[in-house]
Amino acid sequence: MRKPLFHIAAVIGLIATALSIPVAAQGEPVRVAEFLAECPISHRLADDPIVLPNLAGASHFHDFFGNHSTNARSTLQSMEGQTGNCNPASDISSYWVPTLYRNNTAIAPTGVTFYYLGEGVNNPAAIQPTPYGLKIVAGNAKATGDADSIARWSCLHAGHVNPSKNFVTCPAGTMLETYLDFPQCWDGRNLDSADHKSHMSYPVAGGCPSSHPVSVPKLRMVLRYPVNGSTAGLRLASGTGQTMHGDFFNVWPRAEMERRVRNCLNVVIKCDHNGNHG
Amino acid sequence: MTTLLLAGLLAACQQAPPPPSSPPPAPQNGYGATERAFVELAIATDEQALKLLELTDSAQLRGNRNIELAELRKLLDAPYVNHHAGHDMPGMPTDAEIQLASTDPEALKQFVRAHLTESLEVLKSAGPAITHPPTAEVVRLMERHRTAELAAG
Repeated sequence: MRKPLFHIAAVIGLIATALSIPVAAQGEPVRVAEFLAECPISHRLADDPIVLPNLAGASHFHDFFGNHSTNARSTLQSMEGQTGNCNPASDISSYWVPTLYRNNTAIAPTGVTFYYLGEGVNNPAAIQPTPYGLKIVAGNAKATGDADSIARWSCLHAGHVNPSKNFVTCPAGTMLETYLDFPQCWDGRNLDSADHKSHMSYPVAGGCPSSHPVSVPKLRMVLRYPVNGSTAGLRLASGTGQTMHGDFFNVWPRAEMERRVRNCLNVVIKCDHNGNHG
Repeated sequence: MTTLLLAGLLAACQQAPPPPSSPPPAPQNGYGATERAFVELAIATDEQALKLLELTDSAQLRGNRNIELAELRKLLDAPYVNHHAGHDMPGMPTDAEIQLASTDPEALKQFVRAHLTESLEVLKSAGPAITHPPTAEVVRLMERHRTAELAAG
């Protein structure tokens, strides 16, 4: 019974390919609550403006994406009005992760996407814009194994390789990739906290807990590294693959963030880099 | 009095919620976020360095690190948490380096020197950023120690 359907889908696909028209563009917008920013590596420094503020050169090495000015002394005020390398250019937020090494050679990711999603909560219509100046740290830089890690490593174009919390061996012709989901429930008061984590929380059973009642976009970082084959010699500046962590300092202009939350997440529509949909 | 109290309560109720904020900045010259981050980092670095220095025959080096650790711990305003274990931090020998140094005297010499030069760089960077006088004093003590230790070869 499924074969004829498959044929129809294949034929539509062939026609669409011949006409060079994406199939989705002919129908309804894609019902996925999403907008995104793609930001290649901007610079690399042994700095961490959230964990080691003002202590230049005191951290392990980080790869910084987005805002070009980020360093140990960065504040919201210092980053405002600067430029970055994100698509869209309006996103001058800063994002950073520990540098990946093969032995002592640093390897920069070649694909860097930050998705802002409406998933994880049952009521996307209630999602509020990410507060201006919010700082979030996700992942566990101190992870000692799988049990205390939320890292996820997999292979692009090799779905048969099981994901793992540590590095995985990717077949030739594929790329090592890592996903990191940031907490999406805010306490409604603090842009940061002493441990840089307790002002944020993950949702519980599809909703934000009463301690962190404000639902904000779920930030998902996806990094792709030009790495495959053996995992021998692979390490992060923070240790094993399980220690993958990410930092986010929100400097999206308020109006740009608000428009995307309203037009993409609240109404559950997939938007492009400019926050628009077909 | 009652009227005043009621008026005060009403005014309080009518206030909008405060705008979101970062943790309150430390009072000027207080023990703030930068000082706290420095002290926790310096304890982690010195404790890890001691494991390397145990391999040397220099009681002076070990003694200096222990003096620093005692001073640093006095500055803590909350239970100490090691945020940097297992990380490749400047001045902090990794477990793999300590392992190698335990069997290779030349590596030991190199890693001890790297500990001193790199942690001195961090201290020079921290100096201008630390405004809390007791913390600044420990920074200067640590700088003096490393400068003398490097000079002694």
